[in-house]
Amino acid sequence: MRQALIRVGAIVRKEFRHLGRDPRMLLAVVITPVIQLLLFAYAISFDVDHVPTLVIDFDNSPASQRYLQQYEASPFFDVVAHGTSLADVDTAFDGNTARVAIIIPSGFSRTLASDAAAQVSVLVDGSEPNAAKISQAYSVALNQLYGQQLTREWADAQGLDLSSFGLLEPRIRTWYNPERRSSDFLIPGLMVVILAIVTVQQTAVTLVRERDLGTQEQLEVSPMRRIELMVGKLLPWTLIAFLDVALITGLGRTLFDVPLRGDFWALTVGAALFVFASLGMGLLISAIAPSLDTANIMAMLIAFLPAFLLSGFAFALDQIPVFLQWISYAFPARYMVSISRGVFLKGAGFAEIWPELISLVAYALVMLVISSVLYGRRSSR
Amino acid sequence: MTTTATAAPAIRTHGLRRSFGDILAVADLDLEVGEGAVFGLLGPDGAGKSTLIRMLATVLRPDAGGASVFGHSVTTEASQVTPRIGYMSQRFSMYPDLSVAENMDFFATIRGVSKADRRTRAASLLEGMGLAEFTKRQAQHLSGGMKQKLMLATTLMHEPDLLLLDEPTTGVDPVSRREFWRILAGLHRAGKTVLVATPYMDEAERCTHIAFLDSGRIKQFGTPDEIKAQVPGRLVEVSATQPRAALAAVKAVPGVESAHLLGDVVRVLWSGSAEPEQALGAALAAAGVDGAGTREVAPDMETVFAYLADPSTGSGSVGGGSGSVGGGSGSVAGGSGSVAGGSGSVAGGSGGVAP
Repeated sequence: MRQALIRVGAIVRKEFRHLGRDPRMLLAVVITPVIQLLLFAYAISFDVDHVPTLVIDFDNSPASQRYLQQYEASPFFDVVAHGTSLADVDTAFDGNTARVAIIIPSGFSRTLASDAAAQVSVLVDGSEPNAAKISQAYSVALNQLYGQQLTREWADAQGLDLSSFGLLEPRIRTWYNPERRSSDFLIPGLMVVILAIVTVQQTAVTLVRERDLGTQEQLEVSPMRRIELMVGKLLPWTLIAFLDVALITGLGRTLFDVPLRGDFWALTVGAALFVFASLGMGLLISAIAPSLDTANIMAMLIAFLPAFLLSGFAFALDQIPVFLQWISYAFPARYMVSISRGVFLKGAGFAEIWPELISLVAYALVMLVISSVLYGRRSSR
Repeated sequence: MTTTATAAPAIRTHGLRRSFGDILAVADLDLEVGEGAVFGLLGPDGAGKSTLIRMLATVLRPDAGGASVFGHSVTTEASQVTPRIGYMSQRFSMYPDLSVAENMDFFATIRGVSKADRRTRAASLLEGMGLAEFTKRQAQHLSGGMKQKLMLATTLMHEPDLLLLDEPTTGVDPVSRREFWRILAGLHRAGKTVLVATPYMDEAERCTHIAFLDSGRIKQFGTPDEIKAQVPGRLVEVSATQPRAALAAVKAVPGVESAHLLGDVVRVLWSGSAEPEQALGAALAAAGVDGAGTREVAPDMETVFAYLADPSTGSGSVGGGSGSVGGGSGSVAGGSGSVAGGSGSVAGGSGGVAP
């Protein structure tokens, strides 16, 4: 046992030496996560506000102007131009000068005066779906507000006391992330993406590299057991993965004020399980990849892309096609994204995230078993 | 060490076979190498040298047959084999980004060498191999010869009894090659058994025993002297200002087994009863070749193998697919007293091996 620990220690020390002497690898595991964090948090924002808006008022009445004032006053819409014909919408959308067009038909005030529902066209440039969806929601909300205002005015005019009628007044609130800041939403998810890349890719590459160098054979003629090699190889990357978690959490909290509302230990346990699952994936790749390049590409395909696209990080999982949803269950990232967001934003603890934790345990076990079987088959030839 | 372990030869294989796809790399090989031998495994690329060595090193499984090292099977008792062997693969297999000292220390650590031993052994090995001043240099920045010496030094850190060296001098400059063999000679004196694969015929002379491997089979087997003895007659070098004319002149002389150009001399294999200098000199003078001189030379391995491999001159003596040698430095005398093969002896046309 003592001998085994000495051997594992030798591997760990060697791995850190490799890391220390390879600036590219050091860059990949420590600097890249920070750059990604800054990029995602600052540059690639999913926040939508100040949407350039074109208004066309065919009615030109006090009522229509009052209606349009709502848009002018909203921080969400920036009224950048007033058009005179429908053709202006095409021009503005084509030239990207506006993304939303509000068109008030003539007869707007007359319809309102006759107590009927007036129609307003809201055209949204759908080439940027995220912004389009939110713009639409906002303009619906504005219309409702305006409707209530009109109702209230009408009631006042009739001398009615609305409070006694108990009219429903919708109040929309976003929970967990009231300001809908995308950094709050992105950083807990980004942590998962970065963990996946560091662990899966580096584990895969570090083991394939031993074969490429021919040092694998020298390891095989030593009394070192396979499990010792695995532990020695995986330990450094586990440590680095946790360093990355700490780094991202720290930067997220200090630079971007991402709240950490839930149980820190639940997050730690989740991250540990996710790291094991990812290491298993890395081992699997290293067992089947014939070369370093293949290992890199496979890591990209089974670690990075699912963590990015099928984890709920970039797209809500209930918004993607059903068959992709099924596929997403086959990758550990979706469980971890939900753990991470749960703990960071919803204040979740073990009581809330245990189903995901169990999924990760199962995943890690299956991966480690499959990969050690494949690894065994490979080395016995 | 128990008596049985002492009695077991360093290497014994029986019916050892391994193929890769359709290619039979090692074909039903029977081989025995006694303790203390420096056993040269000669043969062209693809002869099966590496495959044989890797099977003996336990890193490659045989398809059929078996092999044992110091009496332990390489397949079922690998854990008893590996502590006693040092395996040096054909390609450089150290960590390029680790220093000389770090590489040696790492491999010795996983081999279970204690810290104190690692320090003293590394110091003496590096000193002995002339690497002492490069201990801090990264392995990737070493010259070819130094890389090979580093690999050998690393292989020796756990003090193995058997060294399996796969073409350790291929691609190494002549000075480093000589240096490398000087180190091997020292190991031989220290009682280590060495199995060394090499494509260089001249290195065969430095071995106590050699086997010539081709297409996975042993074609020749014995001590260097035994192999040389298979070449009938004497080797004579004829130098002349016009070597081509000299070659033409001596070719038809009775008693000349074969004659060919080697650089600017003619090499003649002489089996006549007369003294070759006189007979050849007469023929050269008759043909009017100027400035010709003849002298007898000791046959080198390259000539010997060229002769034995040549079907037109070969005496059909290509021996059996198996052989065994006894221990000791240079003496061929094994227990059975002969270099016996399964399908024939190594003895060629010259009338047998004379140990």
